[in-house]
Amino acid sequence: MNLEKTDFNNTTSSVGLYFIVYSDRAEDEVVDPKKYLEESCKPKCVKPLLEYQACVKRIQGDDSGHKHCTGQYFDYWHCIDKCVAPKLFAKLK
Amino acid sequence: MKDTCHQIPKQLVIRREKAQDCVVEKLGSISFTLAHRPKRVIQSSCVKQPLCHRGTTIFSRFSISSSIVSVADLVVPFPGETLSLRCGLIWCEALIKMVGGGVIQQILRRKLHSPSLATPVRSWFSSKTAHVDTGSSGVRAFALLGAGVTGLLSFSTVASADEAEHGLACPDYPWPHDGILSSYDHASIRRGHQVYQQVCASCHSMSLISYRDLVGVAYTEEEAKAMAAEIEVVDGPNDEGEMFTRPGKLSDRLPQPYANESAARFANGGAYPPDLSLITKARHNGQNYVFALLTGYRDPPAGISIREGLHYNPYFPGGAIAMPKMLNDEAVEYEDGVPATEAQMGKDVVSFLSWAAEPEMEERKLMGFKWIFLLSLALLQAAYYRRLKWSVLKSRKLVLDVVN
Repeated sequence: MNLEKTDFNNTTSSVGLYFIVYSDRAEDEVVDPKKYLEESCKPKCVKPLLEYQACVKRIQGDDSGHKHCTGQYFDYWHCIDKCVAPKLFAKLK
Repeated sequence: MKDTCHQIPKQLVIRREKAQDCVVEKLGSISFTLAHRPKRVIQSSCVKQPLCHRGTTIFSRFSISSSIVSVADLVVPFPGETLSLRCGLIWCEALIKMVGGGVIQQILRRKLHSPSLATPVRSWFSSKTAHVDTGSSGVRAFALLGAGVTGLLSFSTVASADEAEHGLACPDYPWPHDGILSSYDHASIRRGHQVYQQVCASCHSMSLISYRDLVGVAYTEEEAKAMAAEIEVVDGPNDEGEMFTRPGKLSDRLPQPYANESAARFANGGAYPPDLSLITKARHNGQNYVFALLTGYRDPPAGISIREGLHYNPYFPGGAIAMPKMLNDEAVEYEDGVPATEAQMGKDVVSFLSWAAEPEMEERKLMGFKWIFLLSLALLQAAYYRRLKWSVLKSRKLVLDVVN
């Protein structure tokens, strides 16, 4: 059985969309524990998140294509990963 | 005299000798003091030469190079430090040792070659010491400057390219098979094989695994035979000289999706989906890396755009990977009813891949535990035996006998 290769790159992981999906479906809808933990770890990683958002604002006007926020993005996701990793496998079979 | 040489005497007689031109270094500094006092030398009848002269020549060379401040230790590793910076520092350090060591060894040589000129040597030497001190501080300054320049040059290129180039560092997950005596979760291996078969096998080969390897690990023999029988295998020439196809057997390898690498690249936009038989060993921190990669597809950061045909994954070196996100919730329905979330499938498939790369892990851990335990007992026994045998020599007494 071949999977349809749908492009999930542009799905946002914002809290609002997540909860809409959750409440629409029946109760046996699976919740991905990793996404859930990443959301719950957001308050712990507010500082790098704010740094990233500040960077986004700074480079908004730029059209040269050379400016990017990879550093702040990595810092934020590194913080989230460190928070999620010890807890994730407890939620999996 | 020859006979006494072959026996180690139980008591050694220490004789006083006159002042020798021994150069004695103070450890940790590059200054010298001339030992002008009468020096005690342990001399048995076997030794032709006083140990002082011979030993300190060798000792001085060693201690000089070790006493020179290690430049690389002065610079604390900073974020973004690269291999080129470290190499630059090590090069500088080697240079200093050569230059500084050469200067100091020259002085030593001159010193030792003129043993009879005690007083003029001493005055000459004290002037040399001052020169060496200023010279060494000059050498040190040069070294630090060189290190700084090397650091600056490499630092400018580090911060911009390094992060995306190396990929985001993956976290360490607490795998159930991580402990010193922990085995694989075989239920997870079974589910992982199912995920591989249904999701990954369309592009990735696993050409080093046979169906028979799965027996006893993830499936029973009958199950494995049934799985093998579902595939068609091309077999060797028959009596008429023709190749024929037959249903698979346990001894056959897992089927390959493409005939060769070129076909694989052609079907995947130039990118080759690597064989997964050894992938967790073939990538640094493989298990954590593969899990992070499979579950880490996210929107790219602001300012990064990925061209059509590639996808953004922060863990992939460079950030742009040809493989799209393959693990989606409920993509597979597990036989044992476990909810197939993205993280669950990722964990299971990585367990399967870990087993595929290291099937001997459980036996290896058992063997390792057993033999490390036994060898440490042997170590204790050997240490006791050595100390027992050496106790005779180590409890010798030395008698000081002054000869007038």
